[in-house]
Amino acid sequence: MNSPRFVCPHSKALLRSFAGRAVAVRVADVADIADAAAGVRNSGNELFCVIVETILPLSEIEFHEDQLSIPLAVMTPSMGSFRALARSVDALRRSAIRVYLPCNNLDNLAALRILSSLGIHVCAQFVTSANDWEALTDLMTYAVLGRSPHASIEPFSFIAANYNPHSNLPWGLIEFDDPSRFLHLDEEGHVALSRYELKRGLFVAQSVDELGSPAVASAISERENRWRRFFTDNHPCASCAGWKVCLGRFSDELPADRGCATLFTELIEVATMLKSSTSHRDEGGVWRP
Amino acid sequence: MTWENLIYIADFLEASDHRSVSLLGGEPTIHRYFVDFVLYLLERNFTVTVFTNGMVSAARLAQFKTYFAEVSVERLHFVCNLNDPVQTPTSEKETRRVHDFLSVMGPWTSPGFNIYRTDFSLDFLFDYINRFGLKRSLRLGLTQPIPGKQNAFIRPSEIRAVVQRLYSFRDRFDLLRVKPGLDCGFPICQFTDEELGWLHRSGCDALFGCGPAFDISPDMSVYYCFPLSNYRRKSLFDFDSVEKIDEHFRSTRDPIKAESPGIFAECDGCRYQEDGLCAGGGLCQALHRFIDEAPIRLPEIEHELSKIRMSS
Repeated sequence: MNSPRFVCPHSKALLRSFAGRAVAVRVADVADIADAAAGVRNSGNELFCVIVETILPLSEIEFHEDQLSIPLAVMTPSMGSFRALARSVDALRRSAIRVYLPCNNLDNLAALRILSSLGIHVCAQFVTSANDWEALTDLMTYAVLGRSPHASIEPFSFIAANYNPHSNLPWGLIEFDDPSRFLHLDEEGHVALSRYELKRGLFVAQSVDELGSPAVASAISERENRWRRFFTDNHPCASCAGWKVCLGRFSDELPADRGCATLFTELIEVATMLKSSTSHRDEGGVWRP
Repeated sequence: MTWENLIYIADFLEASDHRSVSLLGGEPTIHRYFVDFVLYLLERNFTVTVFTNGMVSAARLAQFKTYFAEVSVERLHFVCNLNDPVQTPTSEKETRRVHDFLSVMGPWTSPGFNIYRTDFSLDFLFDYINRFGLKRSLRLGLTQPIPGKQNAFIRPSEIRAVVQRLYSFRDRFDLLRVKPGLDCGFPICQFTDEELGWLHRSGCDALFGCGPAFDISPDMSVYYCFPLSNYRRKSLFDFDSVEKIDEHFRSTRDPIKAESPGIFAECDGCRYQEDGLCAGGGLCQALHRFIDEAPIRLPEIEHELSKIRMSS
């Protein structure tokens, strides 16, 4: 298995404390994008992407031409007004950017669809279980079955493309939330298994030097196999039709309407249908005895 | 209209290889997202035509200046439906708003005029074209009946007088090089050869046809055209393509045509209609004739008309 990538803040000292890693570097200001990218490259590490965590709406972010070739994950609270964004659409379309928007309000669901329809890759961030699940299901349908060419809407596009009924799909990696693929570092080099735990100071290691230790390996393994608990605890999620994709993601505050079940069940159906139509198409073009 | 519906419509049209969209109302410019919708459709590579009355607030006009100033006049087009200040006077405030709109958006705008009486004047439109630098084409529509409603409209017997009145402005059209454009519902037989020759030389887009233009409402209903907005409307979601919508409305038209080939008795067997050169006037005019008649028509027509009667 490849070493997990590091997600860390833009700090020269921190970046020089390790080498040969793929790094997603976090910045709060778009003005720091180029510096952060150069900082990773100059530290003997490989740049995976720059994560911009901003409180500005997308329409108020001024991207510069030299930033457009850098892989960017822009996490913003909203799109802002389209009229203000319109002048940047062409540049965004040409760039290696994915825009992350919290999907807990209808304006952002519309924004995700707008951006995707214009060829800008986006990701719906699940920040709570209190979502408009019906509207999310509509968005998922558009993402996977939309008839016109449009950019990906994650995690739906990823799930539909990679769904396998016989194995788990770690789609949290779209949001850097999968400890076998991403580990999160703070300024001092403490290591957390997820963004959520990083924010709350819940660390599994005090520095990257501890990463090979049995304790860390065990924590990662425990996280990867956490889903098993749903069965031993006889949790309602374990018997949900959407389980194979969801894996109990919203179990902490299970929505009363169980709208998450509708979304993930439909997503499985759509993904299965898509796979089946693709495999039939493949068969049609091949000579068989 | 919601963003989701707008995107659906844009996808739908794109999939059918249609690259132009018209925004109508009510008054489309008062929609909260009007500027955003226009910019979005332009980003999707549509050409956008907006039908407006030009009564745009100062705040909205400031947005037009900011966001539309660099949009090509080939890609964004306003058709401003104007009223004759003498025959249909409006308040000073409304007039000023229209003038402000034309001052800013003149190069993007063609004047439009709906003819609802035979003694109309076009002089004020030529004046607007010169004063505000409008596009040199004038869209002329016949006011049509809305079957079942009591609106004012030009009756078939008045169309010849309308055409004669229009032709009386020929000198001004020619002098100012303004291209007349005729909306649907003008029958070709109401023009003399001389008048037709003039229209042709002026580059007029007269098709003497009748839709289907097909309009889509905010609730995603699709209908033949505004006057027939209550007749056999269906959900856009029932269709796969523009061609299917066209098919549906052509099948709407056929039974009405079977009952009444056109707005004149002479339309029955008319060679221009048979050759597809003329639609025999507006379908809404033909349908309107059935409204007050005893229910002797095809059940399909009767069913739709009874729904209209009940809703009026």
